[in-house]
Amino acid sequence: MEYYVAIGSIIGIHALLGLSVYLVAISGQMSFGQQGFFAIGAYLGGMSTALWGLPLLPALVVGALVSGVMGLLVGFPALRVRGLYLAIATFGFGEIVRLAFLNVRYTQTIGGRVVGPNGAEGFRHVRYVFDRGFTGLQYLGIILIVLAIVIVLFYFLERSKVGATLRAVEEDETAAAMVGINVTRVKVLAFGGGAAVAGLGGALFIHYSTYIDHDMVALPLAIASVTYPILGGLGSFVGTLLGAIVLVGLTEGLRVLHELREFVYGGLIILTMIFRPRGIVDEALVLRVKSWFSPRAARRHAEAP
Amino acid sequence: MTLVFDAIEQFINGLMFGCLYALIGGGFTIIFGVMRRFNLAYGSNIMAGSYLSLVPLYLFRSPAWIMVLTGIAAAILVGLLIEFCCFRFIKKGHELAPLMTTIGMLIVIDQAIVHATDAVGLKYPSPFGDVSYELGPFLVRPDYVAVLVAGIACFALLFLLLYKTRFGRAMRAVAERPEAAQILGVSVRRVNVLTFVLTSALAGIIGFFAAVSVGSARPDLSAFVTGKGLVVMILGGLGSLPGAIVGGLLLGVMEFEATWFLGATYRDILAFLILFLILVLRPQGLMGVRTT
Repeated sequence: MEYYVAIGSIIGIHALLGLSVYLVAISGQMSFGQQGFFAIGAYLGGMSTALWGLPLLPALVVGALVSGVMGLLVGFPALRVRGLYLAIATFGFGEIVRLAFLNVRYTQTIGGRVVGPNGAEGFRHVRYVFDRGFTGLQYLGIILIVLAIVIVLFYFLERSKVGATLRAVEEDETAAAMVGINVTRVKVLAFGGGAAVAGLGGALFIHYSTYIDHDMVALPLAIASVTYPILGGLGSFVGTLLGAIVLVGLTEGLRVLHELREFVYGGLIILTMIFRPRGIVDEALVLRVKSWFSPRAARRHAEAP
Repeated sequence: MTLVFDAIEQFINGLMFGCLYALIGGGFTIIFGVMRRFNLAYGSNIMAGSYLSLVPLYLFRSPAWIMVLTGIAAAILVGLLIEFCCFRFIKKGHELAPLMTTIGMLIVIDQAIVHATDAVGLKYPSPFGDVSYELGPFLVRPDYVAVLVAGIACFALLFLLLYKTRFGRAMRAVAERPEAAQILGVSVRRVNVLTFVLTSALAGIIGFFAAVSVGSARPDLSAFVTGKGLVVMILGGLGSLPGAIVGGLLLGVMEFEATWFLGATYRDILAFLILFLILVLRPQGLMGVRTT
């Protein structure tokens, strides 16, 4: 049972990380730096409960907010570049954050334990959830509630004018600018929003694991976070959720595959990119599924090239 | 006075070790120049070369030059595998797809090496001895001198190949205008494959010297060279070979000075900070030409 609770918790947290990449991706940008925002959210969220005595909910808000603001600050300069350049620039940012936390020391001794970010030692003893007597199952519930709230937000976003604006910028920046869309603002907001979601995931993570260090937010996490939306598909956020559930479920759930998880990830990425460059749940599939339910979407599907 | 002395000594070391960075960046930048795509599996290509060059050493205590040749041959095979899996079948118009496939390949190759060696670093003997040379008042490591010589020789060969041979002219033509080159009878696919052979051979050489100067073949070698390669390539300007030289030497000098005066972790932050700032402020790099 506990095993499945643990897998569920990891799926929930990784789904948030994947959604943060997805939000940036549907405005036409690829970020390899979301693990940096995840780290900021984790450290800030952990400091909130462990050092400043805040309850869990404000700690999550602090993690998400600080990450989001950092996203806006990084977004402005970074979004001058696009495509491959942006992917590399954001990875550079992620590494800067990681290496910065390798050097940050801000500790207090609480109950005989050194608590707080402690350089290469990492940030240990974030025991809020443990001390308050939450069970693993209860904390999984909290993770899933937060994820559900984010999913509802994404659901309405995709159907709103803002969602259409994001897609317009992805499709053709020049055309979007010509119909009066402020492209820079849209891109920076998407980047900030994505950063906040990643920060939220990080804050949830550190209270789940009680511990984080710089090694946990390095290249492998960056790869995992972009793998969910890119394999799952950029047609709908459902693809990202599916990607996280299937990949984490497969690799954590089956012991045989756990040994080979990196091979599974690598091989799946290559095969998906060759056969479905927009992922499993791509725009064509979304239209086809919609056409089962509404005649209008069916017409659009028939017209689509 | 010792401060100045240290600064000069680190400057010399940085220049010599920077030759290795220049070679790494050169490999990345040639692939980008010809194909307009990043090959993020290039670091794994290098690492595979350095691990596989150990095979003849373990089998029959082979001399260093056989290790280098084995490394080159192995790296070429791995490079062709990367080209086949990651580039050949990618549909046109999906800019990020080859970036992702090469990341996939990076994971697969690195994990294959980790599984084969149980993630333990393997001792990599230096054929250059460990007696430092005296250069006036300064001491110079022999493996760094070897890196310097190898760097100069490789770049001389690369420039000869690019500017004095038919193949080099075809490569430059494809880099500039692939469609026009195709119309004029240059086989773009053939040039792409040969570019992979060329850069992979370079990867084999880099793999040898990187492992020698670190003292072991380690599974984190690929992450190390990928990081340096990206910084050098972007610092110098994408697709610019002279840019890779300038970028590599610059990064080498900055890192040695930063390590000496600030400490090792600040060295890495500095490298990525430079990467981020260059991308944001001068995306075309130091020596690159701005293209839209």
